[in-house]
Amino acid sequence: MTALTMYCVFTPFVAAIISALLGKYEKLRNAVVILATFISLALSVLIAQSPARIVCFASLNFQIGGFNSTYAIIAAFMWFAAALLSPQYFKDHNHKLSRYYFFFLVTMGATLGVFLSADLMTTFIFFEIMSFTSYMWVIQDETKDAMDAGKTYLAIAVLGGMVALMGLFVLYNITGTLMIADLYSAIQYVGKSTELYVAAFCLLFGFGAKAGMFPLHIWLPKAHPVAPAPASALLSGVLTKTGVFGILVVTGQILRDDEIWGYTLLALATITMVLGAVIAVFSNNLKRTLACSSLSQIGFILVGVSMITLLGEENALAANGTFLYMINHSIVKLVLFLCAGAIYLGAHTLDLNKLKGYGRNKPVIMITFLIGACSLAGIPGFTGYLSKTLVHEAIVEYAHLSHLPIITIIEWLFLFSGGLTAAYMLKLFVAIFIEKPTEETEKGKKLSPLSAIALIISAVAIPVIGIYTPLVEKITYPMLSLVNGHHFHHEIHYFSFTNLKGVLISLAIGILVYALFIRKVLVKNKTYVNPMDGKISLENQVYIPLIKILTAVFGVICRAFADLTDFLIFLTRKSVLSDAKEHTEHQRKYAYALGDVVDHVKHDKTHKNANLFVRVSETISKTTQRISSNFSFALFMTCFGVCIILVFLIISFVS
Amino acid sequence: MLLIILTLFPVIGGLILPMLNKIQNRNTRLGAVILIQVIETVLGFMVILGDKISTGTFTLVDQISVGFTADTLAKFFVALVIVGWTLVTLYACVYMKHEENEMRFFLFMFLSEGAMLGAALSQNLVSMYVFYEMVTLFSMPLVLHSLSKESVAAAKKYLYYSVAGAFLALFGIFVLATNSSTLSFVAGGVDVTASPLVLASVFTMLLGFGAKAGLFPMHGWLPTAHPVAPAPASALLSGLIAKAGVLAIIRTIFYIVGTDVLTGTWVQTVALSFALLTVLMGSMMAYLEKGFKKRLAFSTVSQISYVLTGLFLFTDDGFQGALWQIVFHAVVKVGLFLCAGAVIFMYGKTDVKDLKGLGKKMPITFTCFTVLSLSLIGIPPTGGFYSKWYIATSALDADLGALSYIAPIILLVSAILTAAYLLSISIDAFFGKEETEIEKVREPLFMVIPIIILTVIAVAGGIFSLTTSDILAPVL
Repeated sequence: MTALTMYCVFTPFVAAIISALLGKYEKLRNAVVILATFISLALSVLIAQSPARIVCFASLNFQIGGFNSTYAIIAAFMWFAAALLSPQYFKDHNHKLSRYYFFFLVTMGATLGVFLSADLMTTFIFFEIMSFTSYMWVIQDETKDAMDAGKTYLAIAVLGGMVALMGLFVLYNITGTLMIADLYSAIQYVGKSTELYVAAFCLLFGFGAKAGMFPLHIWLPKAHPVAPAPASALLSGVLTKTGVFGILVVTGQILRDDEIWGYTLLALATITMVLGAVIAVFSNNLKRTLACSSLSQIGFILVGVSMITLLGEENALAANGTFLYMINHSIVKLVLFLCAGAIYLGAHTLDLNKLKGYGRNKPVIMITFLIGACSLAGIPGFTGYLSKTLVHEAIVEYAHLSHLPIITIIEWLFLFSGGLTAAYMLKLFVAIFIEKPTEETEKGKKLSPLSAIALIISAVAIPVIGIYTPLVEKITYPMLSLVNGHHFHHEIHYFSFTNLKGVLISLAIGILVYALFIRKVLVKNKTYVNPMDGKISLENQVYIPLIKILTAVFGVICRAFADLTDFLIFLTRKSVLSDAKEHTEHQRKYAYALGDVVDHVKHDKTHKNANLFVRVSETISKTTQRISSNFSFALFMTCFGVCIILVFLIISFVS
Repeated sequence: MLLIILTLFPVIGGLILPMLNKIQNRNTRLGAVILIQVIETVLGFMVILGDKISTGTFTLVDQISVGFTADTLAKFFVALVIVGWTLVTLYACVYMKHEENEMRFFLFMFLSEGAMLGAALSQNLVSMYVFYEMVTLFSMPLVLHSLSKESVAAAKKYLYYSVAGAFLALFGIFVLATNSSTLSFVAGGVDVTASPLVLASVFTMLLGFGAKAGLFPMHGWLPTAHPVAPAPASALLSGLIAKAGVLAIIRTIFYIVGTDVLTGTWVQTVALSFALLTVLMGSMMAYLEKGFKKRLAFSTVSQISYVLTGLFLFTDDGFQGALWQIVFHAVVKVGLFLCAGAVIFMYGKTDVKDLKGLGKKMPITFTCFTVLSLSLIGIPPTGGFYSKWYIATSALDADLGALSYIAPIILLVSAILTAAYLLSISIDAFFGKEETEIEKVREPLFMVIPIIILTVIAVAGGIFSLTTSDILAPVL
């Protein structure tokens, strides 16, 4: 079993090296990549069959079963699907493909490592590898936008990684273990302390940065659109989930049922949820809309996570709902980004105005996109409906239990954001698949069989789970142990009127927003406009000035310390050790001239006064020099003496 | 006997070199250089793999004696010095083609090697002090090699600071000599009677030896002197010779005074604060610095104080973290300076802003540079991560009040700054648009090989330390 787990995680690493060596033989290389992803997928399914256990390799610990295995399978599957689409996507622009595939596979191995890790040390090691290698996806095209997005991405990744590391230091210091399964009992043993909260919030910062949580989301809407489509699918669908995984560990094992944690998370999650949905509505770029949608959906998921904490023993709805939501979002984003990729490889643009009607006669893309959009919007019959309903019911339940009006407001924000989701997906669908093509729209080309397969196998699970609801429990129950989740107390009637009501309200809001806001405000002269474009940017208006000020202040302080000794030496040289200066030539000249004037006045032809003046000035300057140098020397010696007396006093005082 | 041969051989070998200047064929001369280094390496490995041996002590005056012992710490440093010098010698054979008087350069390189080995193998404080001074004197000509006005001034600055530091240390040695039973190194410390005077003298020793390690307030020379030397010398100065100060501090704290005497005293608080201040200051200055090698020199200031932070915790875990940091910093910093040297050698670029687009011209060098940078930042699975992990966790374990928390925070802030000042170079080099077209030149093989070896050590060492975390335990 140990060996199989190792193969599962390290196959992509080995394959990465092989693919780099095979760079020249393109077909062979593509085959190796697809094969490697498939092997990892098969192995991850295989190891999931065995009962839950921990396997160790060197000091790396891996957990088999439960959440870990499930998400390893999903991740491997998504890489497999992305690998299937990649050959056609890159056919026209095969710029630095060796590099792309190398980092594609390395990131796969690292991501599998993160999901399968049994202790946070292992998680962190793979997490950092993943952060840095996925940077290469963001900058794959090396355009100005990509480089800019890459910079933001890297900055947040480094910052998040280091803060998470601080959390691990503190956590390890408190508990003495980083094994996820042992954390809860270790913390029960030592009790809660301020340090524990410090550790937990450091981890929230680090993992939240990767998940795209407000206020660390700034990289996400920039980085996801510029990456190649298969990579965007993985960035949105899987990599953000590694962040959610970390947050789930904190929720389930470190601060279980903790109210401070729950409310903080709820507040940040709600902001992320609404913010993402609002900017998605404004966006005119296909992939940017999808990226902002990811932001919003992560907010939905984190609302679910916070509900797990807040509901404590009653968290059945929240826990199952959250896990289903995660899976749904992963698959839906895979489908949608692959569709976006399929559209881009034909149309070479992502601008909605140039994509009008592009998809009208492309049934595969149209149907898969529709499935993804419906699931994301939460239309009954698709997985998204089930997960959204469960999380919504959890909020309703908590509003009922806590009697806090704010929770009811959050419930409405939840429905409102759900409505916005429906609205922006409708906007995309209408623009690409329904509106009449304009002269700017390209014809596009046929999907290759591999790409079509990739799209279809990605999309097929969504309606299946959505209609055959008993599958939900089969999928989510094994995952519950990660967050100490509970089974449903009674059977859930997903399609009862109470449950349908939430979605109906949501969809009504969505249609209203689409009809009254998008069609009226955002469409002018039949083109989509974005009045918000670049106007508000947390990064440019807050973070960058803040960093500039900090570096400036900090730099001055550090420079002062850095030059302190040199400055003192300089001072000493100028005062104590200064060489006696010669009586300078122009001092002599001035004195002579002055004496000359006196001579003229007295009509003295012998220059007596001039010579006298020179002599006097020489004497004065010599004397002052002697005095001043002696004075500074005396001052220095006095200081020295005082210092010695001081040290002596301190020493005698101490002893 | 082997230990004396090991120490004297590079000195004698080095002294032969100037006579070879008559030989016209450059390759023959370089052959001699490499031969000396290879023999030295073999000798070194004989010592490292052999038992713990000692020479007798030669008594100079009543209390002052010179003697060698190859204990584990000595072997640890011998290994570092031998490996470092071998790789750099190989590299220098190509690099020094552009510089004059290369035999003089190799002469002083070998002399410093002998002095370093002597300092590492010394059996007591006095003989270590003698060799420590010799390291300073022999490495100074490396700094002023180009004989430009700037380099002579830098060398003078180096000398003054080092001499000032050495006298501070000497004062401490005098005090310790009268307050302890012996000055021979004993693991865990000889019984030193604690008194305010002893504490004060230990503090001056830490500051004095800290001068070589670039510890605030005696760091001023380091960013001036390291960059002006030829690249191989910068690499040795930053990566290894600066570690002589660290070695001396380890010997003082762990082998003479003993940690019990110092734990919890003002010496610890002040020394640790200075080390942390240096970490932060070095990184920030590196971030603001525009010169390529000067940036790396400031980075050395910061990174060696990571080592000192680990040491000043006065715990075994901290010590172990410090040892890891010594290894990985040596590997990485030598590697980074060699990369910087390769850029200077091939394209003559010395400013960070001129490096745009060079990654495409020198792919191997800059790939290695990036990987080494990641190790210096402390990104797993490269080696730098483990040293930082040990130092930070042991800082939290040590009962130091607020400093326990400030230490890991400063280490991480410094890591972020390190990322900012190193990765920006890589990104510019690979993806920046160069201003003027320059033609692509093949990277010289013997220049690239040492860099690749160092990169492999940095990564493989990190992965290896996953499996055996206590490989350095015998050194403790």
